[in-house]
Amino acid sequence: MTTTQTSPAPARARLSEWWQRRWVRIAAVVLVALIALGAPLNLTQYAVYQVTMMAAFAVAVLGLNIIMGYGGQVSLGQAAFLGLGAYVSAYGVTHGWNIVLVFVAACLVPAVVGWLIALAAARLRGLAIAMVTITLPIVGIPLARRFDEVTGGSGGLTVSFMQAPEWTGLATDQWRYYVVLAVTVAFFLLARNFLRGRMGRALAIVRDNESVALAMGVSPYRYKVLAFTVSALYGGCAGFLYLVGVQYVSPETLSFATSINILAAMVIGGSASILGSLLGGVYYVLVPFVAGQVNPSRAAMYSGIILLVILFVLPGGLTSLPRALRRLRRRRDDGPGTRSTAAAGPADDGGTQAEASSQTERQQR
Amino acid sequence: MERFVQLAVDGLATGSIYALLALAIVLVHRATGLINFAQGSMAVFSTYVAFAFVQSGLPVWLAIVCAVVGSFVFGAFVERVVIRRFEGGSHDVAVVVTVGLFVLLAGLSGTIWSYNHREFPSLFPLESVSVGGAHVGLRNLGTIVVTILVMGLLQLLFLKTKLGLALRAVSGAPTSAALSGIPVGRMLMIGWGLAAALGAVGGALVAPKLFLTPSMLDFVLVYALAAAILGGLDSPVGAVVAAWFIGVAENLAGGYIPFIGDDLKIAVPMALMFLILVIRPQGLFGRKQVVRV
Repeated sequence: MTTTQTSPAPARARLSEWWQRRWVRIAAVVLVALIALGAPLNLTQYAVYQVTMMAAFAVAVLGLNIIMGYGGQVSLGQAAFLGLGAYVSAYGVTHGWNIVLVFVAACLVPAVVGWLIALAAARLRGLAIAMVTITLPIVGIPLARRFDEVTGGSGGLTVSFMQAPEWTGLATDQWRYYVVLAVTVAFFLLARNFLRGRMGRALAIVRDNESVALAMGVSPYRYKVLAFTVSALYGGCAGFLYLVGVQYVSPETLSFATSINILAAMVIGGSASILGSLLGGVYYVLVPFVAGQVNPSRAAMYSGIILLVILFVLPGGLTSLPRALRRLRRRRDDGPGTRSTAAAGPADDGGTQAEASSQTERQQR
Repeated sequence: MERFVQLAVDGLATGSIYALLALAIVLVHRATGLINFAQGSMAVFSTYVAFAFVQSGLPVWLAIVCAVVGSFVFGAFVERVVIRRFEGGSHDVAVVVTVGLFVLLAGLSGTIWSYNHREFPSLFPLESVSVGGAHVGLRNLGTIVVTILVMGLLQLLFLKTKLGLALRAVSGAPTSAALSGIPVGRMLMIGWGLAAALGAVGGALVAPKLFLTPSMLDFVLVYALAAAILGGLDSPVGAVVAAWFIGVAENLAGGYIPFIGDDLKIAVPMALMFLILVIRPQGLFGRKQVVRV
């Protein structure tokens, strides 16, 4: 594969060498877990809210990553599934459903809708999915406004649920954070297992060459439909988490701009990367916030600039930063003229690829 | 009957705007095989430039002409500086690049001219004439006429000039075109420039009706995409016919079917697009592509 900037290799293949050592990984995971668990006890209420939102949007970005990063099908409609999930949750909460039922419905309803759309859209090659999905948020907004007895119309729905139980002794925002965190971690682990197994490899081959996939007995159609459905399910879950954090949903939630921002967050975090999805969630919340502090009317311009700069300089997203830096350093050490052959390896089978390429790198030195 | 004529002419006029943007999308798709999701925000940016010219005291038509010429240069510039780098690679990445351009240009328009609604002066008088008892706005007629003129000129360019021949050669067979000495890169720039100019015409024509905001054409872009797909992404005539069809169909559906009304009429072209994609993926006017492996 010579197209370095086009085919995003998974994060696993890009992480630096010391990351291969087991104790480093365990230590890092423990450290991150400690920070994540301790964070709400030491932060202001607004900061806790923001971290909650990062987790919620990380799930949405991960969902988009499954269809787009791993599956190679551009989708511009993730916000529609997020909004649908949020509306279903709000409907369930206002009608006094059990919270588990609300959660299941918030995941399953968007998944079924996504499945139906994918059944039609995945038959088409090329950018058709992008063009079908771009219509979802655009049609979704007038639909949400129209059925105002269910959706509350333009004003949206305000709900109040997920109060902290007495026994925890936590403030409500802290409790909500822990709930969102637990669901997010569970969904990330699920996606990791899902994408490392048969499914991930099948998707990679469908993305890279449909004819080869077909020849190997992997049906591109079925896997595209599956990936899109899972992606919609993750969008719905993110919608539930969003409602937990914000307690409010309006047609703006499923606006086209939200879709575009989720897509930008995914590309900037790292396409076809679990860690990149997490970074994408952080980016989604943090950067507009920081840009808004500087100058609110320029927030959109800044995110456009960041997106384009990333695409030019770091096509693998932020997760590929360590690898890109290493390559840069090596090139400087080697002097001009020598080129690294260990550019992005084939996207599937990331683990062994990383080891193999790091060996070649050592030999080259 | 009067209501019908009125709705139909209104639909044709909005359809003409969709047609201009759909043509731009088709031009870019033929030249570079890409869907340019930034086409709408490029057009909005051009319209803002025209707006700035009007404010500096130029007559409206001259301001629009200046903006259209400027857009041509800008479109060519974008192709050379931004898109060229991602050509030949995966289309997914290139599409994300156009999405990035979309965000950037919309943000830039908002930064320079603010997100407030601006009133853009109309090129045509606001009076209406009576056609068979129906009141038809001159602005609508003007929009339709300008669109037909632009399309005629484009058709002349493509079919009767050497430049058009070269453009068609590049979109049909880039390698052979390059081998026969056609500067492929420059032709791609011209293709993008023409598309941007078309978008600018559309933006300037629709701005008096919609008010000028950075997100003015977001909806129109979706209609234009639907039209381009309906017409089969490679057929300019198909795109225009489909755009008119969509404009008229949604207006009639909105006017005659109470459930759809004014707010849900956007669902009509979407449903159509969905149906067409499922039943006839190559579009109504497109040719089916057979790929040999």
